[in-house]
Amino acid sequence: MDDFKEITAGNKPFKKAYVAIMLWFVGRAIQAAARVDKDVKKEFEKLPDGFTFCLGVLPRGPYMIVGKNEKGRVKYMGWKPDGKRIDLDMKIKNIEAAILMFTFQESTAAASARNRMIVDGEVPYVCAIVRVLDIGEVYLLPKFIARLAVKRYPAWSFGRKYIGRVRIYFRSILGY
Amino acid sequence: MFFPDNYEFYCPVKINSGNRALEHLPVELDALNARKPFIITDKEIAKKGLIKKITGAFKDSGITLGIFDGVPPVPDLKLVRRLMNNYRDTGCDSIIAAGGGAVVDTAKALNIVVSGRPEDLKESAGEDLIKSPLGPFVFVPTASGTGFETSRFATLGGLSFSSHFLMPDLVVIDPRMVTSENADAVVSTAMIALAHSAQSYTCPAKNPMTDTYAYAAMQFVGENLANVVRSGDKKGRLALANAATMAGIAFSNSPRGMVHDLGWAAGDISGLPHGICMGILLPYVLEYNIDSEGYHMSDMLLPIAGFEIYAGTAKNLKARKAINFIYDMQHEIHDITRGNIPLTLKDAGISKDALDGVARAAVGEGRLGFNLDDCMVILEHAWEGKQITSS
Repeated sequence: MDDFKEITAGNKPFKKAYVAIMLWFVGRAIQAAARVDKDVKKEFEKLPDGFTFCLGVLPRGPYMIVGKNEKGRVKYMGWKPDGKRIDLDMKIKNIEAAILMFTFQESTAAASARNRMIVDGEVPYVCAIVRVLDIGEVYLLPKFIARLAVKRYPAWSFGRKYIGRVRIYFRSILGY
Repeated sequence: MFFPDNYEFYCPVKINSGNRALEHLPVELDALNARKPFIITDKEIAKKGLIKKITGAFKDSGITLGIFDGVPPVPDLKLVRRLMNNYRDTGCDSIIAAGGGAVVDTAKALNIVVSGRPEDLKESAGEDLIKSPLGPFVFVPTASGTGFETSRFATLGGLSFSSHFLMPDLVVIDPRMVTSENADAVVSTAMIALAHSAQSYTCPAKNPMTDTYAYAAMQFVGENLANVVRSGDKKGRLALANAATMAGIAFSNSPRGMVHDLGWAAGDISGLPHGICMGILLPYVLEYNIDSEGYHMSDMLLPIAGFEIYAGTAKNLKARKAINFIYDMQHEIHDITRGNIPLTLKDAGISKDALDGVARAAVGEGRLGFNLDDCMVILEHAWEGKQITSS
């Protein structure tokens, strides 16, 4: 029948690449923030040793995995969830929703409220990780962008914000 | 709020509405255990590039899609059989209907046959004759519709179906899909939503659940229709598409009513969109029933006219004010479209001699609660454009 056809949906390689880079950097920034920022440190202290979370995009990635090792140190654990024990799995439903989040058109809280994420794990863990992500965004982004990405922009001291920002950028780039 | 002694309400429809809603389709289909959807639409929608927006939503999913874009304005059973072969030969397991009216009727009929046996289609025609749930069915509305899309009804090839199993599992309302330059289509769809929700809100089967859907639908139409026709307001279009979906759900849980049956018959005779005819008839039917249903019509004033008008109107005048508001809205749309949207059945091109045929066709639908004489009073007033209370 002329009016019938079968097609295989294509790909969005550029959007995927953008989100992959953002996830890679955010993952390393969380590792850095856990050493630099007292609130992030406290959030991770409340989580059990060996705790691992994955933030990724359905159906086929990209992903980032961050966890605490047995010594309690927070580590960026790469972009491959295969074979890892994941305690908290946060999946953005599609690449367009991820783009809305990672171009800061939609905050994490708004994305959750609009049901753009699927979460598999304990609610207190989710809340802790969303708070960590919010703090990370405040460090990484200039105020006029971060205000769009977080629910409420915090009133931090100059030292915490700017010195912390330099340290987190430095550590993220060098990966320690 | 009115609270009946007992009531029944059924709505299995998940609604996903708003910015980038289409992109949720792969995940939602996965939740319905569907891996290969069959998209049904018509040439007009395909020509506007709207199907590309749906297929674009599946990028990165690895999913293969079957697409049929040739649904004619009047589909028949032969088409359903051809589609069934395509569906089965290509291993599809779910249906996405993009469009309105004929497209959705075809999709619903196809779902009956692919979920069972081909001969089930004729055996399923009638009231509640579908005995088990059908396959996953998603509806993506565009700017024009008949009001049946989210409902439990379907009509195809002279067969009428009514079953809750025909309601879609998912409705995805995306602002990119509800764009249209055609004022007729926008007004028709909105008027069907208004008519169905007004009927649901005032009928004897009304209940708190139907009221909730009908109230929101009336409010969206009252707030947005004139703006959308005047300026094509994007947010307003999305609100109207939501109104149509909500009205369909209220309509599925209410009797069909006089406006629907008369409007449908008048549309068939005049060739105008059914919604335009329902829009013309709505205030006349409300006026005719004001003595029996006026109490509920009073409450309609709030959603369709807003707080200020509602608060500024005396209790005993609210029902009349609600009806007048609908008359005023029609005049406004008539003026914005420079007379393209008719105000009377006479302007719609129906001859006075044809009114009897319209009334007979409506009563022939077998509805309870009104007869030929009731219909003729309403039709004659709507033909002339003369308010019933002024005669």
